[in-house]
Amino acid sequence: MKPIIQIRDVHKYYGDYHALRGINVDIGEGEFFSLLGPSGCGKTTLLRTIAGFEDLSQGTIHIDGRLMEGVPPNKRPTNMVFQSYAIFPHLTVAENVGFGLRRDPRTPAQKAAAVEEALEMVGLKGYGGRAAHALSGGQRQRVALARALILKPRVLLLDEPLSALDKKLREQMQSELRRLQRQVGITFILVTHDQEEALIMSDRIAVMFEGQIAQLAPPQELYRRPVTRQVAEFIGVMNFLPASVATVNGARIDVEVAGLGTVELAAEQCPGGARSGKGSVGFRPETLTILFEGETPRGRVAEGTVEEVTYYGDMTYYGVVPDGVDVPLTISMRNLVGRRVLERGERTRVAWDPAALVLFC
Amino acid sequence: MRSKGTGFRAYTIAYLIFLYAPIVLLPIFAFNNSTIIAFPLAGFTTNWFRELATIPALHHAVWNSLVIAVSTSILSTCLGVFAARASTRYDFPGKGPIIGFIMLPLVLPEIIVAVSLLVVLLGIGIELSAWTVILGHVLICTPFSIAILNSAFQSLDKSLEEAAIDLGETRWSTFRLITFPLIMPGIISSLLISFTISLDEFIIAFFLTGTQPTLPVYIWSQLRFPTKLPSIMALGTILVALSITLLIIAEYFRRRGIARSGGQDAGGFL
Repeated sequence: MKPIIQIRDVHKYYGDYHALRGINVDIGEGEFFSLLGPSGCGKTTLLRTIAGFEDLSQGTIHIDGRLMEGVPPNKRPTNMVFQSYAIFPHLTVAENVGFGLRRDPRTPAQKAAAVEEALEMVGLKGYGGRAAHALSGGQRQRVALARALILKPRVLLLDEPLSALDKKLREQMQSELRRLQRQVGITFILVTHDQEEALIMSDRIAVMFEGQIAQLAPPQELYRRPVTRQVAEFIGVMNFLPASVATVNGARIDVEVAGLGTVELAAEQCPGGARSGKGSVGFRPETLTILFEGETPRGRVAEGTVEEVTYYGDMTYYGVVPDGVDVPLTISMRNLVGRRVLERGERTRVAWDPAALVLFC
Repeated sequence: MRSKGTGFRAYTIAYLIFLYAPIVLLPIFAFNNSTIIAFPLAGFTTNWFRELATIPALHHAVWNSLVIAVSTSILSTCLGVFAARASTRYDFPGKGPIIGFIMLPLVLPEIIVAVSLLVVLLGIGIELSAWTVILGHVLICTPFSIAILNSAFQSLDKSLEEAAIDLGETRWSTFRLITFPLIMPGIISSLLISFTISLDEFIIAFFLTGTQPTLPVYIWSQLRFPTKLPSIMALGTILVALSITLLIIAEYFRRRGIARSGGQDAGGFL
């Protein structure tokens, strides 16, 4: 991977507030990269330092091999799609999209063609003459995209671009953004607080908490092997059981899990690093399986009582309390044809696989 | 319910009559063929208007007032743009007190402002002229300009300016292409309000004007002569007609600005 952006030891202070606390990351050429985290974690601040809207208190950012210190936003090879879209309300759609071409040496006819091409790319062909303020939310979003992409930046920065859209439109725009990124082939950096959105769209995700990157990984690795409980809780749903690490023996780790007994885990199941002592194990709802009458388990089995049943149509989510533990585990089951939905209070067997566990020490 | 409604209606009508009767009387007596301001009317004449055209002192006063009002409105609007932008976009030490001091003339008694300005100007040794009146008027108009422009800047999304810079514009061209057109309705309002305030301001003008009186000062000086009263009425009629025209023009531009940027009309002058 050839890096287009190199961020080294970046710190940002606002007065006494330490907003970015030592960010180090390389972002690759043509990558769809997401900054994911709760509000106030510094993800937008980091994006704005890349765009040049915020100065660094410490550290360096290189874009395309060039040090960005002292380079203003209008001289950087980046363009931004703002959270509010920032469509100029007094201009038409075409004037908005062509705004960045003002200093371009091309003829007006060539510029108009470029605008039309950009509009077509985002599915707004023929909208050029409309007043920008008369557009819907989704259309504004597309205008903002066309306006940023027409300058052919090396990096497109997207600051929570989908948060203002309703669910249907958001899902549609997610796949469209992904398609657009493959089509133009430039680096996209997306800021989002929506873990699902980050998983769907990204090549790699940086999860941020309190001004630091907690984990930087591709979506699958992030979901299956979170390095800390905090990351695990932020990405999807995860069950936790108290555990104690008996021995750490090279590649094998012996762990005593409350309610489930002794398990032997591989070193890679403890991405945060293993040491003996108290800890916890986590596992995703879909790695647990409720055993119905006559089904034979693969892996190991625990017994428990159904405490909660949430029916979603395609899925049912159960809260099952295993014997010997007082925390319910969330289990998701697909509602296959002929499979009944359990009732609260029923006894059930739960199959689980030690390979699905993640250990947090 | 019905009787309550009628009561309010009667009150509203009485209130409006009280407010506007003097203004309605202006044109009536301006066209009345008598030097005495009283009913019954004596007959129609346009003499008083023709008489206005023959008084050079009045022309000087009108000219002085126009120069002062135009200068004041431009100066205080410029200062208002700077101050409003600073107070809505930046944080700096002492911002609260500084803005507070700028806004203070809004509540200071004008006579106090006028007297202290006079004392200071004479103390420094600056000769009284149209410029000293402009100085005083800018002082009292700037708070109004800031108040109007503050709301214009506050309703302007900060990311619009950032987007323009991101798309390659400089700070100055961003102001010219984005900020300025979008706060235009506020600028027109500010120009208009400070022009109006300056045009009919009396106390500061009375103290700070030298040998060249402004229109209000001239009118006040003429009230000593009862025979001049009808021509003052004629002058008043012209001023009222002018104000209404100005207001309509300003409101037209304000509404057009809002319609063009697709904003919600938050109420204007009319």
